[in-house]
Amino acid sequence: MQRIDMVRLVHETIDTAAALAAVASDAAGANVLFVGTTRGITDGFVTRSLEYEAHEPMARGELERLRDEAIARFGLADCVIVHRLGMVPVGEASVAIAASAPHRREAFAAAEWLMEQVKRVVPVWKREEAADGARTWVHPERAPEAAP
Amino acid sequence: MLSISLFAGMAEAAGCRRLEIPWAGGSVADLRAALGSAAPAIVPLLAKSAVAVGGRYARDADAVADGSDVAIIPPVSGG
Repeated sequence: MQRIDMVRLVHETIDTAAALAAVASDAAGANVLFVGTTRGITDGFVTRSLEYEAHEPMARGELERLRDEAIARFGLADCVIVHRLGMVPVGEASVAIAASAPHRREAFAAAEWLMEQVKRVVPVWKREEAADGARTWVHPERAPEAAP
Repeated sequence: MLSISLFAGMAEAAGCRRLEIPWAGGSVADLRAALGSAAPAIVPLLAKSAVAVGGRYARDADAVADGSDVAIIPPVSGG
């Protein structure tokens, strides 16, 4: 198993089992693992692969901040966030979030909240390669919000 | 002098991953204006982007000291 820091940016396959194992705790009765994978077909359009790029020091800082906030907000026992960078073939994991809590409601809510925040504020970008080889950076039509 | 890091579609629009501009101090809004003059090709995406100073999101009114670590953060698409 990979050694797991609680927040990681990796350039290789994400060890999702290690992420889940890392949040195990005597205080936890609920352990949720969310795995985001590269989708091959979106609304009929075929994606061959995704490539991720990050402002790595800032992304790590934002992920640490989100993890701390999630632990406080949802009363988590523990939490791990892993994002993969570089080429991610279709079907492989680009992101994994593991959250443990005394009860399942908080663990599910924390994983959902963290994914929303990751997609909103963490400086990571994806470039889609379509079936015809065209590669396009994805920049959704909304700016990231300024820091609170 | 400010050295500004560019990423993803912003680097693609500028044709480089780093821009250097002369800087005598000013706000994030001043920096946006200076960047737009230095690299007109990035203006459309710059308008939708955030600015990070020292690895934290900054507001348009925030001051940017000479020599700061500045990055332009176009709309993010991680996950």
